[in-house]
Parts: sequence; C-alpha cells; structure tokens
Amino acid sequence: MTSVGPRPPDVSVAGFEGPLDLLLELVEEKKLDIFTVSLGELADDYLARVRAMAALPADEVSAFLYIASRLVLLKARSLLPSLAPPSELDSVDTEEELRLRLIEYATTKDRAAALGDRLRAGERAFHREGGTVELPPKGGNPDALAAAWLKVLALTRKSAEEVELPGERYSVDVRTAEIEALMAEQSSVTFATLLGDRPTLGYAIVTFIALLDLYRRLVVDIAQDELFGEIRIERKLARMEGVTE
Amino acid sequence: MTRSTLAAAIEAVLFVAEKPVSRAELAKTVGVSQKIVSETLAELEEWYSGTGLRLQHEVEDYQIVTAPQTAQFVAAYLGADRLRLSPAALETLAVVAYRQPVTRAEVESIRGVNCDQTIYTLMSRRLIEELGRREAPGSPFEYGTTWEFLECFGLTSLDALPTALSPAGVRNDDAVVTE
Repeated sequence: MTSVGPRPPDVSVAGFEGPLDLLLELVEEKKLDIFTVSLGELADDYLARVRAMAALPADEVSAFLYIASRLVLLKARSLLPSLAPPSELDSVDTEEELRLRLIEYATTKDRAAALGDRLRAGERAFHREGGTVELPPKGGNPDALAAAWLKVLALTRKSAEEVELPGERYSVDVRTAEIEALMAEQSSVTFATLLGDRPTLGYAIVTFIALLDLYRRLVVDIAQDELFGEIRIERKLARMEGVTE
Repeated sequence: MTRSTLAAAIEAVLFVAEKPVSRAELAKTVGVSQKIVSETLAELEEWYSGTGLRLQHEVEDYQIVTAPQTAQFVAAYLGADRLRLSPAALETLAVVAYRQPVTRAEVESIRGVNCDQTIYTLMSRRLIEELGRREAPGSPFEYGTTWEFLECFGLTSLDALPTALSPAGVRNDDAVVTE
C-alpha cells in the first residue's frame, strides 16, 4: 500500500496507525484493562509519545491533538470533580464515549489481524475462468454430416479418376448470350441446371458472373427460398421482349 | 423432476457459469420455484463438504468455487500470486467487512485516521466497492465488500465472517454493545 498514492503513511513509521492506535498501545503496554482503565491517567504518557514523534504529517496532527485534549480534559475532571461536563457536551466528551471508540478500534485491530492471518495462510477460493467460448449452431444433425462427407468422397473419387485437361477458357459474353438464349425458350431455370453435371471452377465462375450481369440489366430475376436451397433464375418478360427484338 | 436430478441440473448450470448466478435465474432456468432452488442449493452445499469444491454465495448469487484447503495447489496451477495488504488496509477492510454498508467518515471515525488512501487501495484491488449513496447530508458513498473479497479470504458467504474471523476469547460486537 505504501507504493500507491501520494501520501505515505508516516504515522506507521513510529509504530502506530493513528491516535487511537497509540492510545491502545499505551493501555496494552501497561497491561491495563480496557474496560476499567481511567483514560485520563494516560494523558501524560500519550503527550510524551506524541512529542517524541519526529515528524507528524500535518493532516494527522489535529487527530492526535484532539485525542490528547480529551485525555487532558478527562484527567482534569478526575482531579477536580467539580469540573462537571456541560450537559450538552455529554454525549461526545465523556470518558465512556472515548472508551467505546477505543474498544471498537481494538476490535477492528483484532479483526484486521485475523484477516491478515487468513491472507498469509493463503486459504482462498478460486472460480472457473474462461470456459465455453462459443456454442456450435443449433440443430446439428449427424446424418447430414455423414451425407455431406459421402458427397465430398464421391467428388474426390471422380476427379481422381479423370485425367486433368488443360485449362478451358470461357468468355462471360458468350456465356451471357447462351443463358439469354436459354431463357428465351424457358421462363425459369435453376442454377444447378445452368452449371450442368460437373462444372469446372472456371465454368461456374463465368456462369455466375454472367447471371449477375443479366440480373443487373433486369433481364432475369433470381430467387432462393431457403438457405442452401435451389437458386431459381426467372425471365423478366417485358425486358426479354425488348432484348430479343 | 426428482430432487437429485434437480440438484444435478443446478450443479451443471453453476459449473458452466463463469460468474455468480442468481437464485431467480436458476429457478427460471430449471423451471422450479425459488424456494425449491434454495433447498436444492443447500443440498448441493452439503454434498460439497469434504470435496475440492464449495458453493460460494452472497445475498442471492451463487457460484461454484474451489475449496480453500486446496488453494496452494490451484494457485500453483494458475500461477496466481498471493494477495498482500498493509496493516492499515487490513484495518479499513475489517471495518468495511463488519460494518457494511459504511461511509468513509464512519471508517475514519472508527480508525481515528484519514482513510482515503486505504479505501482507494482496497477499491483498486476489487475487495470493496461503492454500493451507492446514503441519503444523508452530502450524500456520501456507502462501501461494502465484493464477491472477490469472499473469494480472496476463502469465505463461502458473509455469514461465515464472524465465526471465521473472531479471534478466540476477545472483544467482539457484543462487548461494544453491552459496554
């Protein structure tokens, strides 16, 4: 804690955490009973210890002096019983009030020590960190996975059997004309039909680009009802007439 | 659902949860009343005694944590450092733990010294937190301990504080009150 923040706790250098701590230490040094000790009797020792402190942080001086003044007042009262406290100050200035504070502080110190012991014993708990990052999509189906795998197997087997041909060349313009001609004959066709049985990658790309071009020119409409479903290409009547004319 | 299936379900949910789960959320998840959830949680807590796990709870929230006796091994596995606190910070923490919700002025009145620094330290270590403002002149912040506090001190709940931390045969709250 001394490593953080602007104000080092100078007070603890002297061995105390504060005025109450000093008072408590006096009680314990003299082996007095905190419940019965006459606090006024500690006034001289308390003042002597405060005087002996080399450097007291400015903002702690008032706290030390406040307790000192109360101890002196208590001592004065015990010497001169006629110095009864004015009634309105009763609640804050009696010996009992200070004693209660001292007892509460002593309790706090005991608890702090117990907390410290527990920390040193290191018997703490840990919770689970990290864990499940992302859940897989819902509705996973082992049969679908098996079917997909069989398809992949079939594809690789087929292509392994075939001899590699030199790369074919396709032209988007030619393919566009082909599709337009086909669409003139039938009003609807599926993307799978356009691709044919076993399209090469180049053929598929050219077909796809040709379709996009036709769609852009409002020659065809493209529809797909569900994810991974069949893609339907439909003729747009009005435009087709315009084009064929 | 019979009781033991229910306990297993709640245990499983708490196991995958990475943060404390409220009793209400558990009740909604497994589809029984909060009262039954409470009974089942008590059952779970009993099961765990003697195992490497504990059921930590604060107010309405529950989480499965490791048992404090196993800490050295878990810490070795995780490479976790031990928390260190100064005597001053421990005193402030003791006041907050036993007196929460408590304001800075109250902590300072009990300790007799300025507590800005220790409160800041404890907040930055996530051992205490601001609970809200008190409806009093100046609307001061009220502080309380956190979930991490319970974990760092191996307490299953705040109820475990007095028994775990009252030094034998010395002053406690009652002493102050009766005096």
